[in-house]
Amino acid sequence: MKKITFIFALLLTLNFLATNSFSKEKMVVIPESAYKAILKRLDTLQQKVDTLEKEKEATKKKQEQFNKSLDDIYDTLDEVETKTIKDKLNWGVELRTRVDNFKVTDEFNPSTGEHDDYSADNRWTTRFRLNMSAELLKNLSFHGRLTVYKNWANIHKAIYYPYADPNSAHVPSDTSLKLDRAYFDWVVPNLPVPVALTIGRQPSSEGPSSEFKENRLRQSTYPVLLFDGEADGVVATVGLERFLKLKNSGLRFAYGKGYQTQDDKTVYMDARYGIDDLNVFGVFFESEIPYLPGSLMVLSYVRGNDFVDNPVDPGKNLGDMDLLGIHLQAPNILDSSFDFFFSWGMNFSHPNGKYVNMPVGAGPDGKPILMPMGLLNDDGKGGHTGWAIYTGFRYTTPFAKLNYPKFGFEYNHGGKYWFSFTQGSTELYNKLATRGDVFDFYYIQPLNKYLFCRLGYTILNYNYTGSGWHIGQPLETDKSLKDFYFLINLYF
Amino acid sequence: MRRLLVLTLCLFLFASTSWAGGQEIFVKNCGACHKSGGKAPPVNPADKAAVVWEKYFKRHRHPVDLSSISPGDMETIIKYLKDHAADSDQPVAAAIPK
Repeated sequence: MKKITFIFALLLTLNFLATNSFSKEKMVVIPESAYKAILKRLDTLQQKVDTLEKEKEATKKKQEQFNKSLDDIYDTLDEVETKTIKDKLNWGVELRTRVDNFKVTDEFNPSTGEHDDYSADNRWTTRFRLNMSAELLKNLSFHGRLTVYKNWANIHKAIYYPYADPNSAHVPSDTSLKLDRAYFDWVVPNLPVPVALTIGRQPSSEGPSSEFKENRLRQSTYPVLLFDGEADGVVATVGLERFLKLKNSGLRFAYGKGYQTQDDKTVYMDARYGIDDLNVFGVFFESEIPYLPGSLMVLSYVRGNDFVDNPVDPGKNLGDMDLLGIHLQAPNILDSSFDFFFSWGMNFSHPNGKYVNMPVGAGPDGKPILMPMGLLNDDGKGGHTGWAIYTGFRYTTPFAKLNYPKFGFEYNHGGKYWFSFTQGSTELYNKLATRGDVFDFYYIQPLNKYLFCRLGYTILNYNYTGSGWHIGQPLETDKSLKDFYFLINLYF
Repeated sequence: MRRLLVLTLCLFLFASTSWAGGQEIFVKNCGACHKSGGKAPPVNPADKAAVVWEKYFKRHRHPVDLSSISPGDMETIIKYLKDHAADSDQPVAAAIPK
């Protein structure tokens, strides 16, 4: 009995201890097999944890390597970006070789009093242009162009061009480098209206619609019928798109000089010889034509004050001249592959009563033949009105295998007293100055993205003398010029 | 002369009918997102060279699915971007500020 009482007391004690010691945990009794399965699973989990730990270590190493590579890439990018910023200038090249076959008929020879014919079977020229551009800030950019335009194996420059500065890079001569363009565009910040200033030697040659024939995008500011020459000047352009809702619309105010005094004794003193500078002012409005993407409309007014007889060696001021112009052009009209343009111009001369006696050749005795010449007259008196139209089209053929060849036709007519600032004509002859009719046919064969060739035939029928000159009374003439040419042009 | 002027005027009036070129299709399809303050920054074709644009679309690098744009429009858009890419011929004239 004592033994039973002792065991009972022991059980109670154990129960008491168990109840007090493990009162917060429940005891679970499971079969041995289940217990072993749990242990096995625990082992498996432990192995997975070990594997993950190893993978984590490997990933960490890779991440460190990746970060190092990224740092290397950033270092390289820094170098490249710094070099790019230091480079500043983007360069481009144009190279053109051209051969012309000319025939001139009925040109009056003042020395003999007869009309002569002459021709050139193959006259070769090469033109090299180095284009520069830099976007320095979002509102400040620079553009420049240096040109060598030369006759093959010859340094002769055509002497009949009355100007030198506006066409020094557009008339073939020798191997010297000419400054064709150098200007900057600065959009003035914080003004109530958007204003850009374009200062320097301007993009004022080979303007619209030259791009069709030149197989390029627009490469200059002013319509080529009214102004095509190298010009130093200051241009202020007021952006009007936000006010008029006309795309790319703007009003330009331009100032430049056609002649600046070249005093060689008292440097920079004006009018030493009583000759005023030829100052040129222009106002141009341009815009895209609504509903014609990529099109262009330009309304122009140009005033030239105090024209001199010969800007290279002036003798007198002869008067003033006004020019008016309208230019319209549209590429790919109605998705027809036809590009079209039309330009109209008028000029009004205001002579000041003065004239000069200009040598026009040598007589049989060797003495110069002098002719009186005023501003579009021979006595310095009487203003005249001239006009011209210039129109044409270009068609892009659908032949993909031939790189979409193009052909075009241009026609221009100038009246008896027509004159404009086209001395920098890209042609060997000042075609748009013609007082008569000009028919111009061409075929463009693109060879690849950077190379094209052009075959052309141009007929100039002069009705009056003095085309391209602002002096002298135009006289009737039957002179004509026919030119068959081929050129190959590279640009990149 | 008068006939020529009338013909010119008629041609321009006739031509004043709208049609969609590459730029219009680009703006229509891409302009909703790619604009100032839009879901994506504005895109200028001159941001990349032509061959880079070509690779960009060939490698499907555009972060948003473009399958809603028809294949014809997509082709026109890529052609527009390449035609006006950084290494393409660029117009030159005195600047007109906007």
